[in-house]
Amino acid sequence: MIRGIVAVVILDLKRFWVDRVRLVAGLAQPLLYLFVLGAGLGASSRMGGGDYRRFIFPGTMALSLLFSATFAAITIVFDRQIGFFKAVLVAPIPRPAIALGKIIAGAVQSFAQGMVLLPFAPLAGASLNPLQAAEMIGAMALASLTFSSIGMAIACRFNSTTVFPVASNAVLMPMFFLSGGLYPLKAAPHWMQVAAHFDPVAYAVDLMREAVLGESFFPVPLSLGALVLTIVILVSASVSVFNRGEDDSSLGASRFRWRR
Amino acid sequence: MSNAPARPAGVPPAAVDVEALVKHYGRVEALRGIDIRVEQGEMFALLGPNGAGKTTLFSILATLRAPTSGSARVLGRDVVAERDALRREMGIVFQEPAIEQRLSGRDNLFLMGLLYGLTRAGARRRASEVLERLGITDLADRRAQQLSGGQRRKLELARALVTDPRILFLDEATLGLDVDARRTFWGQVRDLADAGRTVFFTTHYMEEADVADRIALIDFGVIVALGTPGELKARLGGGIVSLTTDDNARARAWLSEHGFAPEPGGQEIVLLHADPAAVLPELLRNLPVRVERAEVHAPSLADVFLKLTGRGLEGGSKP
Repeated sequence: MIRGIVAVVILDLKRFWVDRVRLVAGLAQPLLYLFVLGAGLGASSRMGGGDYRRFIFPGTMALSLLFSATFAAITIVFDRQIGFFKAVLVAPIPRPAIALGKIIAGAVQSFAQGMVLLPFAPLAGASLNPLQAAEMIGAMALASLTFSSIGMAIACRFNSTTVFPVASNAVLMPMFFLSGGLYPLKAAPHWMQVAAHFDPVAYAVDLMREAVLGESFFPVPLSLGALVLTIVILVSASVSVFNRGEDDSSLGASRFRWRR
Repeated sequence: MSNAPARPAGVPPAAVDVEALVKHYGRVEALRGIDIRVEQGEMFALLGPNGAGKTTLFSILATLRAPTSGSARVLGRDVVAERDALRREMGIVFQEPAIEQRLSGRDNLFLMGLLYGLTRAGARRRASEVLERLGITDLADRRAQQLSGGQRRKLELARALVTDPRILFLDEATLGLDVDARRTFWGQVRDLADAGRTVFFTTHYMEEADVADRIALIDFGVIVALGTPGELKARLGGGIVSLTTDDNARARAWLSEHGFAPEPGGQEIVLLHADPAAVLPELLRNLPVRVERAEVHAPSLADVFLKLTGRGLEGGSKP
């Protein structure tokens, strides 16, 4: 089992490394949010430009982690369109190991993207001391694993690369906008505060904001618990989809199949 | 295994043992009761037009689909209940490319070795051995996407061999290759079979099936004939006369009136006869139409298929 997971992780990371230029290209979106959207919105907010950039740094970090984790999950949809995935499926590896390996590999890719963005923190006015940096990195690791689980839970139900991005955007964008990444949750309307309680991204942003600014909306233990619970639920959901794929090389995706 | 069919001690189980196998997709009956037995060390071809059920049968044997009813065993193991143990013993080449195009051949083989539980050193060694065995060491360090179609298919074969499988399954493995590349590919597969490995492959090219020890002809989800290439061709007896005339319809009518039985359909008139060389001059003399082309040849597998099903192999298996 462990050996199978390690093999799948190595397989995916080796393929990711071919595309490592993605790490640089992946910087564009968060930096745009940070320095363009951040400058524009910050100038008109009561916080002022500098404070606002610092405030949304955890939010843009979450955005970056969320999108790179989801992109990693897309590879499973791509693989399904060629025979690559079949070759993995007929290997003597337990199905749960394939699911777990893919989720871990996705989390590593997402975390790597976050580590590339982290050095920009001082530019956003968020200079971190070593303790803050350690807290931030810990929160990023937990967030990566959560987002990778989200990506896989969605991806393993799709076998069309044209539908998956649309479907994932329909889930990801609301999760990001509700997370309080770009505004303080405590100033948000009551219904949004309630909704944020059901949004894993909100807990991830809040943990990172606690590390950077020392302030949080949720109690830290609640955030940690919510993220771990999300991971457990979504990983078991993905594993069960992989397990029931015995009669279908598209691995349970037929339920949401897009007829070609 | 305790639930394996009773065989005398010391006799190895059949490489492939399929009994009364049925597979439905919803209301579509893809396989309608298949019985096949392949002995170890045999090279076995499943020949049939597109849509006949070849890939479905292949997928069941490859542990990717479960049968609706009936049983399928590979090397004595049930493809559903014992699939985990079985996967270790099989090497599989799919119709679709299953190598990562952006990685080198060597990396692909190495990663596949890891998936099969080899150590890093072991996987690296096996990759080199297989590359050398297939004579593609010089291509091994290029990205797969830079290789030609034939070279890529060789790499697929290498990928399937990296774990030293006892049985090799190939599904339309040479789809899209030119004749030369196909001949080279099957030459190598034949060598593997001669070295004692069981090979089970599907194809809709009759000349590919000819390299097999035995062939099963499949159509509409049933096996219509099974035997060695020689046996299948001998079923027709004698040989074939093919004629092209300026009025095929009239020629057919004349032939039928005079005690011949031209095969229905087709661009040319196909006639089975015990002694085609003897009958041809008589036909040329007496046919009331102008004969543009006449040919006498030994029966091919395509002729056998045509005789058994009334359709050509290239046409596709549609009602």
